[in-house]
Amino acid sequence: MTARGVVAARRQTRWRSGLAQIVFLLAVVILWWLAANRWGASPLLLPKPQLVFFELVDILRSGEFWPDLLLTLGEAAAAFAISATLGLATGFFVSVSPALVKVFEPLLAAVNAVPIILFLPLYILFFGLGAPSKIALGATIGFFPIALNTIAGFSSVDRLYVRSARSMGASPAKLVRHVLVPGALPIVLTGLRMGFTVTLLSIIGSETIASLAGLGHQIVNLAEAMEMPRMFAYIVFVIVIAATLNAIVTRFEKRAAARR
Amino acid sequence: MRDPEIAVKIKNVAHYFGEAGDAKHMLALRETTIDFRRGGLLALIGPSGCGKTTLLNVIGGLLTPTQGSVDVCGKTVNGPMPREIAYVFQESALFPWNTIKENIHLGLLFQGVPKNQREDRARQSLETVGLGEFANHYPGQLSGGMRQRAALARALSLDTPVLLMDEPFGALDEQTRMVLGEDLSVLLSRTQKTIIFVTHSLGEAVFLADQVAVFSARPGRIKEVIAVDEPHPRRSGFVKAEKFTRLRNQLYDLLHDEIRKTVDQGSRPGAFL
Amino acid sequence: MNVGRFMSRFVTRYPGWSRLAVVVLFFALWEILARFWIDKMFLSPPSRVYGEIGKVFATKGVPEALGVTFFELGVAFAFAVMIGLALGLAIGLNSFARRSFMPIVLLLYGIPQITILPLFILYFGIGAPSKIAFGVTHGVFPIVLTLVAGVQNLKPVLMTSARSMGASRWHILRYVLFPHMVPSLFAGMRLGMAGVLLGVLLAELYVSISGIGHFTSMFTQAFDPTRLLGLISILAAMAIALNEIVRRAEAHFSKWRA
Repeated sequence: MTARGVVAARRQTRWRSGLAQIVFLLAVVILWWLAANRWGASPLLLPKPQLVFFELVDILRSGEFWPDLLLTLGEAAAAFAISATLGLATGFFVSVSPALVKVFEPLLAAVNAVPIILFLPLYILFFGLGAPSKIALGATIGFFPIALNTIAGFSSVDRLYVRSARSMGASPAKLVRHVLVPGALPIVLTGLRMGFTVTLLSIIGSETIASLAGLGHQIVNLAEAMEMPRMFAYIVFVIVIAATLNAIVTRFEKRAAARR
Repeated sequence: MRDPEIAVKIKNVAHYFGEAGDAKHMLALRETTIDFRRGGLLALIGPSGCGKTTLLNVIGGLLTPTQGSVDVCGKTVNGPMPREIAYVFQESALFPWNTIKENIHLGLLFQGVPKNQREDRARQSLETVGLGEFANHYPGQLSGGMRQRAALARALSLDTPVLLMDEPFGALDEQTRMVLGEDLSVLLSRTQKTIIFVTHSLGEAVFLADQVAVFSARPGRIKEVIAVDEPHPRRSGFVKAEKFTRLRNQLYDLLHDEIRKTVDQGSRPGAFL
Repeated sequence: MNVGRFMSRFVTRYPGWSRLAVVVLFFALWEILARFWIDKMFLSPPSRVYGEIGKVFATKGVPEALGVTFFELGVAFAFAVMIGLALGLAIGLNSFARRSFMPIVLLLYGIPQITILPLFILYFGIGAPSKIAFGVTHGVFPIVLTLVAGVQNLKPVLMTSARSMGASRWHILRYVLFPHMVPSLFAGMRLGMAGVLLGVLLAELYVSISGIGHFTSMFTQAFDPTRLLGLISILAAMAIALNEIVRRAEAHFSKWRA
């Protein structure tokens, strides 16, 4: 297949999958509309889609979402900053020596296999119901994929490149800057992307489970008040926000990996 | 009409890749008509992308040619013919989740051999290639050379008159190729099989083949067929003989210009295997 | 420098012991911190958590809640595997289905499911069904995705060679595709187990008036880190055991990959 053929085929696939997703979403909305308006589904279980839409418009127009959104995003940013710093540093220093990798990589992987959400009650005990417990949980959950992928990234750099750079007289600093970092970058970036995604999810999740404010808390509040249309509107809002952020991060990952 | 001495009859076969009118539409094999006699080894040699593997797959019924037809042992090919044709591929085509012996059993099962005969045939073919002790190993536990021996054992156990080999030693190192080549020559001296063998290597072609078909650059056609008149089993002494060198040089001259053309066209090696 | 070389030689020779040493060091540090520096209201030393784990079980309702959680995990995993296997095969084996349904699976997988957790509780109540359902929706996607990817990465030459030996469609399904898929199925099950654990535990923690969530919030409000850590450790041990079972099964059935 020629390069142009591959690009065209890929574009065609993407176009097709976009179409399939749109058709699917339309079908869901139509079924939802029929169920709520025609087939008599209880409004307490399934609000009418048009009501949800009006609520969504109202939320967006009134701007009442701003404090919750900013809190959630702020928590996510803080948690990601911590997990990225610690994860990259840990990953890099562990990857320096094969012996350290042998000791720490399996340990990190083992802890990562435990559902870290279990620490949430502990963090609430330490830090209370406010933002710090969310940030701590998000940072913990985000730390592992970042650290593990950083180790994997640096370990994956072909020793041949290292030897060839050394043979040309590269100093350790230059070796890191020009060989190890660019070599490890794609996998490290994947780790950062995964870390961001799980951090954001665990922030929203911990807000849902126990908190005083934030987007997750808002959904729970509306659920408890049985304000179904507005709750659905918030769910849609949060899903769109999360999907947008993930799309941005994925895009950034691809760009950075391509440019290295 | 049918001549029992003709093992493979190729009639006006030509093949295009891709759909007509498509940008990728390409002539892979120019119209070819040729008969291959029964018995002995025929090597197909030529530059990358010259259509030798295409021709092999057409003979084996894995590929339906755009034009023309093939008879194998007097039957027209349209699809795989497990009773007439067995295959050995370049990369290991052994099922990695089965042991060597299980692989052979599976081949016999696919071919439709009754269960009570499979064990004997599996053991016999493993002995033939010298892998008797490794029957219960998984392919992943064997070296590349042993894997190809096992693949050969599987093909032999099927007991077909025709054996097609697509660069069977292509992924192996030089020393292993030499040893396997000698073993194959010993095997040839003992059987009546017709073997068609695709290769890149001039030395391998001369060493193994009774006839060498030289392909032109893409779109390929058979440019010339050279006979190697030397009885099997051939030993390492043959490599040092004047005849070997002469034939090898003759092949070199025939191929050199074609390979030059292919490389200058910017063909990626193996792109159209 | 000599110490460094000795350490690295030791680690290379005895990686298991070195790992154990790190773990022991971690617990020792925790023990010292909790004993001498950190307020008893927030952190207990591991020795105390371990010594008083009996108290957790003695708390009225805890054994039942743990039993129910274990049951939910098992049922959710069974459903996730069955649904994941069916969907994965249906989508993976048919290129038309793959083209039309994979985008939808990916779309659904991308949704942060935690946002709809309140809906699950609303629809299925605060009992086991909602938690099982939430576990299933978390576990099913990794299984489907791994299976579909696994079906696709079959080396084409294996299919070709089976065909050349006269394999029928059934033969190819039974002797080529199925064994080829086993490792991806188990890899999917491992990821699916992680998903099920996450889903069930999220839902358990969310519902604070019954089940595990009730006790974690009770211990938190009572500033009782000993029992809280005890309960968390039991759940973590449960998770580790379940993960280990699936991992062992995976290793067993993928032996030929060595």
